[in-house]
Amino acid sequence: MSTPEQPLSYEAATARLEEIIKRLDSGQAGLRETLELCREGRTLVELCASELDAVGRGLEELRLDELVARLQESA
Amino acid sequence: MADPVLRPAGIDGSALPGPYPVGRYAAGLREFLRERPRVQLFGEVWNLRLSRAKVYLELRDAQGALPCSMWRDDYDALQLGAGALADGAQVVVGGGLDYYAGSRTSSPAFTFAIGELRVAGEGDLLAQLDRLRKALDAEGLFAPQKRLRRPALPRTIGVVTGEGGKARDDVLAGLRRRGWRGRVVWAFAPVQDRHAAPRITAALQDLAGTGAVDVIVVARGGGSLADLFCFCDETLCRTVALLGVPVIASVGHHTDRTLIDDVAALSCSTPTHAAESAVPVHCTQARADVTALARRLSVHARRALLHRAQTLSRLARAPGEHVAGERRRLHQRLREMRASARRRIDADERARVARHALVLERKARAAAHDARGATRLNALALALAAHDPQRTLERGYALVSDRAGGVVTSAGAARGAGDVRLRFGDGAVDATIRGDDEHA
Repeated sequence: MSTPEQPLSYEAATARLEEIIKRLDSGQAGLRETLELCREGRTLVELCASELDAVGRGLEELRLDELVARLQESA
Repeated sequence: MADPVLRPAGIDGSALPGPYPVGRYAAGLREFLRERPRVQLFGEVWNLRLSRAKVYLELRDAQGALPCSMWRDDYDALQLGAGALADGAQVVVGGGLDYYAGSRTSSPAFTFAIGELRVAGEGDLLAQLDRLRKALDAEGLFAPQKRLRRPALPRTIGVVTGEGGKARDDVLAGLRRRGWRGRVVWAFAPVQDRHAAPRITAALQDLAGTGAVDVIVVARGGGSLADLFCFCDETLCRTVALLGVPVIASVGHHTDRTLIDDVAALSCSTPTHAAESAVPVHCTQARADVTALARRLSVHARRALLHRAQTLSRLARAPGEHVAGERRRLHQRLREMRASARRRIDADERARVARHALVLERKARAAAHDARGATRLNALALALAAHDPQRTLERGYALVSDRAGGVVTSAGAARGAGDVRLRFGDGAVDATIRGDDEHA
């Protein structure tokens, strides 16, 4: 469950996107709502694309001790 | 080919006899073991393996184990039902020690040669496993992992597996099939012997402790239940149950359900499947889907703006059209009103003229009536005038009246009256009557 401080998860973003598209496809949204939904949708698309990019650049393999060392360095 | 009889020198200073050729010693050992008394043993069957000629198994209990073998013909003659001799089964075997001496090209093997076998019942280990499973279930430890949110698109996946095992490659293959190219953190641990459970437990705790792992896969290829028994370790299973990171277990196969399968968030039959389950989203497809969603959003936005532009244009034209329409309607109403007024005026005029005609007619009738009246009045007036005494007086007659004004119409009355008034046409005079007989 996400809180305002936490970034929206990929699945939450895609679920919201589905809702937005469904609402837009229904043709019941007025102009103002349509434009707001499109704006929100574009933000969500960017978020999803960013998440997909993060797991699309290339497989990185680490051993546990390497991860721990890296985390300690960055801490 | 017979071994060359070349006896090397012994070890300097050694008090032991020999050296002897190992093959001869091994053959002696076999004979020695075969001479040991034949006995009955009981224990649990593990690692049962059937080959064409022989059946191999390990007989185990808490204190130790013995490799055993049995001729396949003897085994088949027992006519045990399917699954009766599964791993963990308690059996009693009768037989004796034997030793395969091996050769230059084959390994030696020690075995307890089984001649007789009886299945005694469910093994202690399986019973113990069943008791532990029920206890963990009763404590509700099967549920916590299943309540954890498993991210659809994890960035970092921890994997606990054997370093040299095939499971590692299977996990990577599963991730590739998802099109996932994030970060994998390997926590290698032994996955079979009695030291495995604590190492696996520590690896899980360390992975979760980094706070950088979204989901953990515990993977091991297939094996007998005995091989997988470390995944039934109580401490390991309690650790998994209470771990804050979702664990996907892939230990053995469907038929070998270990306790970690029960406490984990998800249990998969193969490491490949576990890796795919760790990344529910098919990344390649998802990228295409997101692109399509972005396109659909753009289409909706453009369509909305176009629609609004058309609406605004229509609205911009609307006032002029509205005014023109109103003007047309007003003109029409005006024409209708005028026509109506004309019709009304004509009707009123006709009614007014009719009323005037009627009045005039009445007046005419009244006037005619009056005219006839006037004529008659004139006639009456003339008649009256003809009888007017004044007219008679004007002709020279006189009207005699007494003092009281009464008319005196006779001589006697005149005498009686004495004083009279004489009215002539031009006026009256008073007179006194006297001896009037002379004039009579």
